[in-house]
Amino acid sequence: MIKSLSNFVLISFLTCISFFIHTQLRIEVTQGIKDPIRIAVTPIAWNLESPASHYIHQIISSDLSSFGEFDAIGTSEMLSLPQSEEDIYYRDWSILKVDYLVVGSTAKLDQENLLEINYSIVDVVRRRAIHRARVVGKITDLEALAHNMSDRIYREINGISGIFSTRIAYINREGDSQGDYHLRFCDINGDNDQIVLTSKEPIMSPDWSHDGKKLAYVSFEEGTSRIYIQDLKTGEREALKLENGINSSPAWSTKDDSLIAVLSKAGNPDVYKYDFKQKRWIQLTSHYGIDTEPDWSPKGDKFLFTSNRSGSPQIYEMNISKNTIRRKTFIGDYNARARYTPDGKSFVFVHRVDGDFHIAIQNLKTSKIRILTDTDLDESPTISPNGNLVLYATKNGTKDVLSGITIDGATKFSLPTISGEVRDPSWSPLFK
Amino acid sequence: MNLYQEFLIIAGIICGLAGCASTSDEVVTSTKAASVQSSETSSLKSLTSNTSIYFDYDKSDLSVTASSQIRSLAKALKSNNSSKVSIEGHCDERGTREYNLALGERRANSVKELLVLNGVDSKRISTVSFGEEKPAVSGSNESAWSKNRRAVVKVY
Repeated sequence: MIKSLSNFVLISFLTCISFFIHTQLRIEVTQGIKDPIRIAVTPIAWNLESPASHYIHQIISSDLSSFGEFDAIGTSEMLSLPQSEEDIYYRDWSILKVDYLVVGSTAKLDQENLLEINYSIVDVVRRRAIHRARVVGKITDLEALAHNMSDRIYREINGISGIFSTRIAYINREGDSQGDYHLRFCDINGDNDQIVLTSKEPIMSPDWSHDGKKLAYVSFEEGTSRIYIQDLKTGEREALKLENGINSSPAWSTKDDSLIAVLSKAGNPDVYKYDFKQKRWIQLTSHYGIDTEPDWSPKGDKFLFTSNRSGSPQIYEMNISKNTIRRKTFIGDYNARARYTPDGKSFVFVHRVDGDFHIAIQNLKTSKIRILTDTDLDESPTISPNGNLVLYATKNGTKDVLSGITIDGATKFSLPTISGEVRDPSWSPLFK
Repeated sequence: MNLYQEFLIIAGIICGLAGCASTSDEVVTSTKAASVQSSETSSLKSLTSNTSIYFDYDKSDLSVTASSQIRSLAKALKSNNSSKVSIEGHCDERGTREYNLALGERRANSVKELLVLNGVDSKRISTVSFGEEKPAVSGSNESAWSKNRRAVVKVY
């Protein structure tokens, strides 16, 4: 059911504004690794008359170097510009200490608006291609095509998928304390920033559906917290059944359209599962303490949640079919908002040490904790779908900002904004 | 019975305060509590303006000051049966947003419970939590945090 629009809420129909590209966030690497992989992406030979973007190689270079793992050299540094493997003169690249080289060319297909790109990823030291591919896409979708190529190149070299085609949802508040709240999402590089919802009242806890087509979130537009689901293509929105007390922390399954959330209708906050057909909530946890911040395991058989049932907030895991609950954290007096890593072996969470709130990672089997951040008001961690990066909210002075770190702690980055506060990041799944 | 229950709650709070006096940032003096308690006029005034009740970090139990504020409010509310009460629970920015939403609700409920124990009809009272989403004061320091850990009682 689509809720009628109140005066204070504006749902943006995304298709109408998709041409409006406004960059809100930009990644800036603040601490890089010592020896990034040197890569050269040569200009893709453009055998088309279309004046459309000639910048595929620039998008790919920018993607690969955005988290500091790659050092992509610029065209002006290149000594030659090969367009196929046959054209490569290897000394031009070994002299520049380039590890990998990407060469390719485009061709227009008979079908209207379709083009193909043939490209090779070449290992300069071994002097041979490690991957050859042909991708087909719309001329109007060159940007997406380039991000897909970046994902593939990343995977061929690093062994795990790149995340340059994924998106980040976040909450943004304009300027001062009277400003409007926006739910927005954008590409990883900050491009194609779109507003999903604008409200005078707070919006929080965005979470992506498994297919990346919908966002669940909490909005206070009716004066109290309520959970909504919104289709990002059509703008269509469903308000989930409102119960007395808080309606919070929606969490989609990573496998299907199952959703769990937190309600306090029984007198205290517990985890419930939503029955979309009957439009009702089914209780999963039951304790007089606070149970909140659930997160589904990648297999969908368990969920992590925060509970203060022991007296302080700690992380617990519930096995849904066995109806058992196990405490997972024992070190520290504030452990909260856990998010599973995509392999299901660890979780990242908010961990307080000496009064400071850091993001940490804990192995589920060994219980070993590693603290990832050194700032002191860190919260809302979210993990990239390849498991390699953690994005979180923190403070820069009095301003809410987003920061990130690779899961090995080697690279740190920040996402400065043009204006206002940003918080509550949520990383999309890989789009298929 | 009501008075007895209230006595137990307050006794519990005093024990709690004594137990964590070293970490408590809100200094509660007996004179401060007494002055609020005896001031009938201030409670009547509070019927037309918002009353803020402050809490310790990660706590939802009521201090002695808070309890006497609420008792005065209850007295005034009982003498004005037509008014309704909404209680907003809030938190400081520390800790996670969703946990704080739950904590804010606990704070609002603590205030509601004591109003009800003091004879205010629970049907007149509504509660809502905003967690850390609506701070009263901006700033990442104890002075700002102590003002943001609050329940705001609105009478209308």
